[in-house]
Amino acid sequence: MDSALIPKGVKRCPIWQFALGLGIAGAVLLWGVYAMFLCWFKGLNQTNMNDYYGFALWIWADLAVIALGGGAFFTGLLKYVFGKDELKNIINYAVLIGFICYSSALLILAIDVGQPLRSWFIFWHANVHSMLTEVAFCLSCYFCVLTIEYIPLILENRQLDKVPFVHNLSHSMHEYMAVFAATGAFLSFFHQGSLGGVAGVLFGRPFAYREHLFIWPWTFFLFTWSAAAYGPCFTLLVTRITEKIARKQLVKDATIQLLAKIAGWMMFTYIIAKIIDTIYWATTTAPSLGFSLKEFYSNNPVYGFSILFIEIVVCGVLPAVMLVIPKVRSNRLLLTLATVLAVIGVSLNRWVMVLQVMAVPVMSFDTWVMYYPSWQEVATTILPVAYGVILIMISYRYLPIFPQEAELNPLEPETPVAAEMDSQEATEADADPELTPAEA
Amino acid sequence: MKHTGNIGKPKRYGMVIDLDKCTGCGTCMVACMAENNVPFKKDESNKLDSITWLRVYRLTNGKPYPDNEVCYLPRPCQHCAGKHEGHSPCVSVCPATATDYDQETGIVSQIYTRCFGCRYCMAACPYHARYFNWWDPVWPKGMEKALNPNVSARMRGIVEKCSFCFHRYQKAMEKAHMEGRRELEEDEYQTACTQACPAGAITFGDLNNPEHKVHQIAQPDPAKGGRPRNPKVFRLLEELETNPKVYYLSSREWVQEACHKPHLLDQKTAHH
Amino acid sequence: MKIDRRSFLALSVGGTVGTALTPLPWKIQDDLAIWTQMWPWTPDPLDGENTFTHTVSTLCRGGCGVTVRKVGDRVVKIEGREDYPTNQGGVCNLCASGMQMLYGPTRIPHPIKRVGDRGAGQWARISWEEALSMVAEQLGEIRQAGQPETVACLSSRKYGSVAELLKRFLTAYGSPNFMVTPSMMDAYDMTLKRMHGVDGRMGFDLENADYVLSFGSGLIEGWGNTAYMIHTNSVWKERKATVKQIEPRLSNTAAKSDQWIPVTPGTEAILALGIAYVIIKESLYDYDFVNNFSTGFEEFRSAVLSGYSPGNVAKQTGVDQSTIVTLAREFARARRPMALCGRGQGTVPGGLGESVAVHALNALVGNINRPGGVWAMPRPAVDGWAAPALDASAQAGLAKPRLDGAGSAAFPFAEQLFNRVPEALATGSPYPLKALFVYEANPLFSTPGAAKVREAFDQIPFIVSFASHMDETAMAADLILPNHAHLERWEDVPDTSGFHQPMIGLVQPVVEPIRDTMHTGDALLRLAAALGGTMAASMPWENYKACLQEGLASRWSQLEADGFWIDNRYRPDTWSLAFPTPSGKFDFGVAGSDLKALFAPAQPEGDDGSYNLKLIPYDSVRIPNGPVGSPPFLVKIVSDTVLKGNDLFVEVNPETAKAAGFVEGDHAVLKTPLGSATVRVHLSDGLMPGLVAIPRGLGHTAFDGYLAEKGINANDLIGSVEDAASGLDAAWGILASLVKA
Ligand SMILES: Nc1nc2c(c(=O)[nH]1)N[C@H]1C(S)=C(S)[C@@H](COP(=O)(O)OP(=O)(O)OC[C@H]3O[C@@H](n4cnc5c(=O)[nH]c(N)nc54)[C@H](O)[C@@H]3O)O[C@H]1N2
Ligand SMILES: Nc1nc2c(c(=O)[nH]1)N[C@H]1C(S)=C(S)[C@@H](COP(=O)(O)OP(=O)(O)OC[C@H]3O[C@@H](n4cnc5c(=O)[nH]c(N)nc54)[C@H](O)[C@@H]3O)O[C@H]1N2
Ligand code: SF4
Ligand code: SF4
Ligand code: SF4
Ligand code: SF4
Ligand code: SF4
Ligand SMILES: [Mo]
Repeated sequence: MDSALIPKGVKRCPIWQFALGLGIAGAVLLWGVYAMFLCWFKGLNQTNMNDYYGFALWIWADLAVIALGGGAFFTGLLKYVFGKDELKNIINYAVLIGFICYSSALLILAIDVGQPLRSWFIFWHANVHSMLTEVAFCLSCYFCVLTIEYIPLILENRQLDKVPFVHNLSHSMHEYMAVFAATGAFLSFFHQGSLGGVAGVLFGRPFAYREHLFIWPWTFFLFTWSAAAYGPCFTLLVTRITEKIARKQLVKDATIQLLAKIAGWMMFTYIIAKIIDTIYWATTTAPSLGFSLKEFYSNNPVYGFSILFIEIVVCGVLPAVMLVIPKVRSNRLLLTLATVLAVIGVSLNRWVMVLQVMAVPVMSFDTWVMYYPSWQEVATTILPVAYGVILIMISYRYLPIFPQEAELNPLEPETPVAAEMDSQEATEADADPELTPAEA
Repeated sequence: MKHTGNIGKPKRYGMVIDLDKCTGCGTCMVACMAENNVPFKKDESNKLDSITWLRVYRLTNGKPYPDNEVCYLPRPCQHCAGKHEGHSPCVSVCPATATDYDQETGIVSQIYTRCFGCRYCMAACPYHARYFNWWDPVWPKGMEKALNPNVSARMRGIVEKCSFCFHRYQKAMEKAHMEGRRELEEDEYQTACTQACPAGAITFGDLNNPEHKVHQIAQPDPAKGGRPRNPKVFRLLEELETNPKVYYLSSREWVQEACHKPHLLDQKTAHH
Repeated sequence: MKIDRRSFLALSVGGTVGTALTPLPWKIQDDLAIWTQMWPWTPDPLDGENTFTHTVSTLCRGGCGVTVRKVGDRVVKIEGREDYPTNQGGVCNLCASGMQMLYGPTRIPHPIKRVGDRGAGQWARISWEEALSMVAEQLGEIRQAGQPETVACLSSRKYGSVAELLKRFLTAYGSPNFMVTPSMMDAYDMTLKRMHGVDGRMGFDLENADYVLSFGSGLIEGWGNTAYMIHTNSVWKERKATVKQIEPRLSNTAAKSDQWIPVTPGTEAILALGIAYVIIKESLYDYDFVNNFSTGFEEFRSAVLSGYSPGNVAKQTGVDQSTIVTLAREFARARRPMALCGRGQGTVPGGLGESVAVHALNALVGNINRPGGVWAMPRPAVDGWAAPALDASAQAGLAKPRLDGAGSAAFPFAEQLFNRVPEALATGSPYPLKALFVYEANPLFSTPGAAKVREAFDQIPFIVSFASHMDETAMAADLILPNHAHLERWEDVPDTSGFHQPMIGLVQPVVEPIRDTMHTGDALLRLAAALGGTMAASMPWENYKACLQEGLASRWSQLEADGFWIDNRYRPDTWSLAFPTPSGKFDFGVAGSDLKALFAPAQPEGDDGSYNLKLIPYDSVRIPNGPVGSPPFLVKIVSDTVLKGNDLFVEVNPETAKAAGFVEGDHAVLKTPLGSATVRVHLSDGLMPGLVAIPRGLGHTAFDGYLAEKGINANDLIGSVEDAASGLDAAWGILASLVKA
């Protein structure tokens, strides 16, 4: 039915299977959309946030997806700026995942703010001292960059590509992609950093506050570094999951191994920096503000020292070491395990930097405040996941995301599909026989 | 006429709250709500979403019966100056400049119509002085008659907080200007909570003005970010260098300690 | 034109880019943002001319001077009047939220009569003419039948022209049954009568006292005039006066005092006598006063020395011997010591013995009628009216005994004993009631043992309420003649809070009545006119204001000019002239009473051995528990350790809780001989072990969603205990059990 839209030389599941999958993800999406509208029309009382927990599940999800979406800018940087050409085989997917993550992040922000219709005040009345202003500017700009990076991919759809204008457009966009990738990396450096700064500058919150390094708090660099480290892990993980679902290899091992190796070293260096930061904070910053480390991790039902241990050791040091060791990372299972741990690690880091910050009492006569999300929050947080799944399904089906797919999975010769095409399309295809899909 | 000792210099309005006198009666909270059109809901027992610009905390020394002691601590916005004037925890983070540090008065403003409700300022404020309008404010039919026209009613989805009754400053300045004066007398600008407190526990005025009672009681040391020189006077979480303009006075040592840093008090304190 | 794929694409892209370049989307965005700044459902208060009007508050007995800020014709703020002798610029939370009382939805908008079952809340609007003639007709019939004594009135106020008018109405009608809601002032009045021989009221020169021994008085919770007491507390701090608070719970007063002395509930009098023991034993008392100006000291001395040694007292009260001795010495050696009683807000009088024992301490140290001491004060009186005219029917009615037994042989010194009314109505003795007026009182909520009062009210065929707000008692009325709200009327408020100078405040209307209400004074005048005869002749005024003016004739011009009248120069009589007892001296012997019996503590109800705890009520400064229901702002400031959702927390010492297996926030069933309720447990180190403390003033069933159904009413679980010596309610609490829900 839709075979005319499917890239040449690859096989896709039957349309009914695709539709069923879309239907399931779509149902989850609708549930999220319903919750989203509740939040917009009835207000944020639909959530379990409160005056002590002004930043909650969403903001965590926001920070987490932005970190996980870091694969896009970092892979782009590696390929286009540092010339790691091997990565061209995964860059499309990294961009797609990045696009999903960042559009989700923007959507979440649009739900999260109390007056979405005034969100643009952040640009109009911008306070240049606010980390959030920087985040907003860079995030929006970087989203545009991602869109620009994603568009050529869309244009590569078999049918669109037949349009000469589109074909040429996507060609020329590819040529300038290095510029966009560099811009993207630059923007990412700042907004990832600013997101780290969001917590790091809170000098009223000793749990979050990190002393300045140059003009930025440490968390600025830690966040950028961790996004560069863990983002590719997420790309690898999602690729792995996609391969599992598609039941075929989509990216060659060499590409995977290269990315895994780079991510491993990034994580390794990051986690050293993180450990230094933690020690400095625990021994110097926090005590200077009147706090002992123990106060941050006791007297409450959830946040114990184990959180710190899991984040830094189990999901930090361990996956970093695993990825650095060639023998380990060349084992598919261990590689996947390492990426899973890494993804948990960075998500946990973002959780701690947002939610634990809110939970820790600052005034001695305040108490720990625990929070659990309402279903509306959960639904709107799952919404981007459903949206991402849908976008991946559609993109994977109709766009040549994985350049190595055809090579890795040669098709059995089969009967031409022309019969299924409607006549007009067939004629159009015949009209420009010299056109072939643009090279990625 | 009394001379004011701070002519032409920037004002630093602030408070000294005498915790020895404060009885925990809560009148200041009510006076503030009435003055500033603070909304109310049918159930306000969840203190985590109940808007009270001024909240009276109940502190205990944590000791068992019969050595238990209690102290009430009213907490308006502390109008923090930060490490350098204007670098308040909340002001520095607001992306939309919806909260601002007024260099003229030292008052931290909140511009309701500009705030878009990102709540970053709330995360930044260690005193929990900021409140979000989770709901549309609703006044039972007829009760909206009691709203003060000098303070606009807020809409859902934005943050609000104690303004040191800034509209009273504006009114007083307006009156002074009409009378050809540029300076206010101490009693011309007083906040609603100060005025209402039956215990006279709150003193309000210009911390920079040696003739004002707040200055005399707190004796702020400008060289040390306004640290009080009066040994009985202290500020909340002094170590954070938020540099608040609300000072507290207590003759009880455990109260002073409880206000400085998480002293290992047990968790039996309650929100009022 | 044929739209092919290419032109469609070009059109959409072009259109999008084109639109983005026009001002339209930006304009729309801007408009939307502006729209959020002026949502039509967010009220936009109108500005207008600002005026500030002085009046006096009737929201509590305090009667503070307030300044009302109006914008146009709207009341927007109520603040303390700076130059008012009592509150001096401060107010308390209740008055500060008074606008909500004026404009709140619980106001009764016009006269209504009950059409459904009692209490079912089905009402029909009627005109004032209809309403008044309905009452006049009923009263006419009862009088015709020769039973004028079966009409009673319950008022929350004892003094002032409206209370006097109600009383006068009943007198002219022929009923002795004018009743006032009980308070500690009843016990104080009786003490004054029996020890000083004075028919007056107690005054306390509080600010000048330098050592205050408070036997459970909620000096900050609403004892006396709340705003003035809080002010006084600050004066004490400034003057370094010492305050010692004796009560089982760490109240706000205890928290502000120099020392909290927990005492077993109900044994305050015993502790006072223990202190007296030390003072007498160590000869620390004022010889001049005791030897030259008192009588009955020997009887008192022997009663004290025979049973109240510190050892004995320590056992009963839980207060150490050494503390008792220290308190006694400090008290006796202070320059201006003052002992006070009346638990909490003083809404329960307590027994006569308690009041006598505490007051005896003041007498022992001679701090009577002296600066910084306790003063005998004249009663406020509306003295400008001629005596009412009484016809034969009135005289016959007035000759009947009072329903509550006050003034009878059993309780000769009592003026009213509303606590005895439920019993009287249940037995129909001495006679049943045919009609009851309720004026600014809410007995169905605020009387201990409220259930019994509700049953008693069921026996009354015709209940007329003058309430301005739909409270529990108004809900149970047959007819409501709504009074103007506190900011809409004229009224005089004589100080009855214990202030040490005779004072009257003038309530002046700040706004035109916003509902179809009528001043209760005017309603009474019109009723009297309708009844005719001596009734009409006794109440001849054209309107209430005329009657007010005439009643306060000598003080009116000052009242009108200043908003209050005060006798600044008032000083109580010196000792030689002060005591119009038969001996002319202060009487420690309480007119030959059996002191042992007098001092015997009240026994709590229903000790069948199944109760292991004691339940005590406590008053909170943030919860009014009299006739006024909390407006929304007040409910808002109730702590989350008192109320959470609709759940009420009771306080329990952690030790007691642990023994019973409770942790913070647990649900529990609180049971007393009067009933049971589900509550939650709040652990407090500020409560004596073995006790459960419950706040008074919550658990309303009337009013609106901002107050109704929140918590439970302590008065449903705690009843009254009749003091044999006085008939007053002497209850300090009740036996109770607390088990897991
Ligand atoms: N975006 C925006 N612009 C406006 C208006 C608006 O509503 N929104 N209103 C217009 C009007 S009507 C006027 S009179 C002028 C006033 O404009 P300005 O005269 O500039 O007055 P503000 O900036 O409101 O207040 C002066 C200073 O008071 C301090 N301040 C302290 N407390 C408060 C507070 O609670 N709210 C505010 N806003 N400031 C406080 C602020 O730090 C501010 O710097 O602005 C006009 N411009
Ligand atoms: N805390 C604090 N309070 C302040 C101030 C401050 O600085 N701080 N500033 C004070 C000052 S200077 C001012 S001017 C006031 C402003 O206070 P308000 O006058 O309350 O101003 P806004 O909040 O902007 O609300 C304007 C309202 O006008 C209504 N409105 C808008 N357009 C129209 C129209 O065309 N017709 C009608 N009928 N209604 C319309 C909308 O309902 C909207 O809610 O706030 C004062 N209050
Ligand atoms: S009004 Fe005064 S005494 Fe009452 S709680 Fe506030 S500061 Fe304390
Ligand atoms: S107390 Fe909080 S809201 Fe007020 S100025 Fe300080 S940080 Fe800002
Ligand atoms: S919630 Fe409003 S005031 Fe606070 S940071 Fe965001 S925009 Fe600024
Ligand atoms: S200064 Fe004004 S706004 Fe601030 S707490 Fe007091 S009354 Fe409220
Ligand atoms: S004591 Fe308080 S409630 Fe009573 S009249 Fe005075 S201010 Fe009002
Ligand atoms: Mo304005």
